[in-house]
Amino acid sequence: MAQNTAEDMGYNEEILLEKLHNIQESYSYIPENEIDNLAQKFDMPRAKLYGVIKFYSMFYTEPTGKYVIRVCDSLSCHINNSKKLLNDIREYLDIDDGETTEDKKFTLEVVECLGYCGEGPVMMVNDEVYTHLTPGMALKILKNCV
Amino acid sequence: MLEENFLMGEQLLDPADYDFPALKKAFNMDREEVIQEIKDSGLKGRGGAGFPTGLKWELGYKEKSDEKYMICNADEGEPGTFKDRYLMENRPLLVIEGIITAAYAVNAQKGFIYIRGEYFDSIKIIDKLIDNMYKEDVLGQDILGSDFSFDLRLVKGAGAYVCGDETSLLNSIEGKRGASRIKPPYPIQKGLFEQPTVVNNVETLSSAARIIAEGASLYSAMGSKNSRGTKLVCLSGDINEPGVYEVEFGAQTIKEIIEQDGKGIKGGSDLRFVVPGGVSTAVLDKSEIDIPYTYEDLEKAGSSLGSGAIIAVGQEHDLVDLMLNVSRFFMDETCGTCFPCREGNRQINRILRKYKATFSIQEKEIIQDVGETIRLAARCGLGQSSLNFINSIMEKYEDELGIKEVLEV
Ligand SMILES: Cc1cc2nc3c(=O)[nH]c(=O)nc-3n(C[C@H](O)[C@H](O)[C@H](O)COP(=O)(O)O)c2cc1C
Ligand code: SF4
Ligand code: FES
Repeated sequence: MAQNTAEDMGYNEEILLEKLHNIQESYSYIPENEIDNLAQKFDMPRAKLYGVIKFYSMFYTEPTGKYVIRVCDSLSCHINNSKKLLNDIREYLDIDDGETTEDKKFTLEVVECLGYCGEGPVMMVNDEVYTHLTPGMALKILKNCV
Repeated sequence: MLEENFLMGEQLLDPADYDFPALKKAFNMDREEVIQEIKDSGLKGRGGAGFPTGLKWELGYKEKSDEKYMICNADEGEPGTFKDRYLMENRPLLVIEGIITAAYAVNAQKGFIYIRGEYFDSIKIIDKLIDNMYKEDVLGQDILGSDFSFDLRLVKGAGAYVCGDETSLLNSIEGKRGASRIKPPYPIQKGLFEQPTVVNNVETLSSAARIIAEGASLYSAMGSKNSRGTKLVCLSGDINEPGVYEVEFGAQTIKEIIEQDGKGIKGGSDLRFVVPGGVSTAVLDKSEIDIPYTYEDLEKAGSSLGSGAIIAVGQEHDLVDLMLNVSRFFMDETCGTCFPCREGNRQINRILRKYKATFSIQEKEIIQDVGETIRLAARCGLGQSSLNFINSIMEKYEDELGIKEVLEV
């Protein structure tokens, strides 16, 4: 009989990256107790696990803001004036790259290429992508985040 | 411009509406025949390195092992590149058909598609499609009534450009830091979980599916002697109509691609230079872009086709600012394993930040020296190519940069 799911087929590799994504999605960061659990499950020293988590820019070990704002400043966007966009966003949120606002609403990340280079400048708000941005449009989007 | 696209086209999203012509054909062929077909097509890897795909599959096929892996590299991260996203969002059936075709050819039972974590739309589409394909028996046991079984699983990256390097990608799937591995052994011999593993780019695999469906001769009739077929180019920068375009190798010069497909430079400004293959490649001055778009012509011009990203840059930008931008990219994205790549890129960034009105020849020489050290010591392509952009700018625009001999004090 044909089997129809990956699990049925004995796909038994546990993918740590997948687990980390799931945890990150539920808590918006990877809390310490989950790290303990994973360390046990994957039989890994905690330090090594931290090493893995810290390697990836999308994983956090501290809570992020409710909205993670990612602004691309790689070459194509840079040419399309992402710098101005970034400065205005920085000023509006009054935080720097990598920081979270005091009310825990926004985390700002200046990131490398997001793959929308033909439509720059580009910003992501959580998993939503906004292209062809002017600073005015971007601030409006941020103001609408509640 | 192509009269008829080979790879681009209408959205292909629903397996119920799709006939899987490549799979049906492939399952009626011996594995060696499928591999021969890809060899005959002249297809080269579109992930950046340009390794002949047929040969890669043959090497994979010849590896003796009970377990082999087929991996689709969808970690697209080279600034200026968005063609793999185009394929995953618009032609995902081709992508997965390509993965299964390759898996059949090399006889791999399991596979992964590793999609960069920021590609939320691609992830959603491919995730749903994989589910549907299991339901339609195009994944899993005895695919489409053949005796070939294959499982495909999606893994999301988590924001690390270097994981696009195939050995880093393997480490990443294995739950390690995404640092590169020492080669040999190559992934083909000892890849994921120590098993023989074939890694191919999204565009490579989609092209392979089309080639099997249409026959190699159609494909190899397009292009030049060393660059067969078509290529997706991503136009961005100071361009009127940026986007993904499919071009036939050698049919247009870079200049023509920018003018005919991209409709020229934005705002009536003048072009200064072109980055022909993403920020890992050397720039070409506007006087150098009257060359056919092929692997060999770009190489002759001292650059490379890279990932297919063509970034057009107008006159009004500050060269040092652009060098700093690219330098920061490599400083941010180095995995840190090789000391010269980690520290060297940081030092170069410091020198560039110090730049005021002039550069001294000494500073230029330090950048070149450090760059050469990084290149020689680098374990992976990131370090090897991290200075291509900066060195080529310094070489070609020495006067504008005001690089002068500074008297010793
Ligand atoms: C730093 C670095 C980043 C890379 N990024 C990608 C990538 O995003 N996508 C890709 O297909 N190949 C990428 N590559 C190339 C891969 O290592 C590998 O050569 C490729 O996936 C093989 O597929 P192909 O033969 O179909 O081109 C990268 C290489 C390096 C060194
Ligand atoms: S060259 Fe750079 S990115 Fe590549 S392995 Fe070495 S340190 Fe890492
Ligand atoms: S350079 Fe900004 S999205 Fe690619």
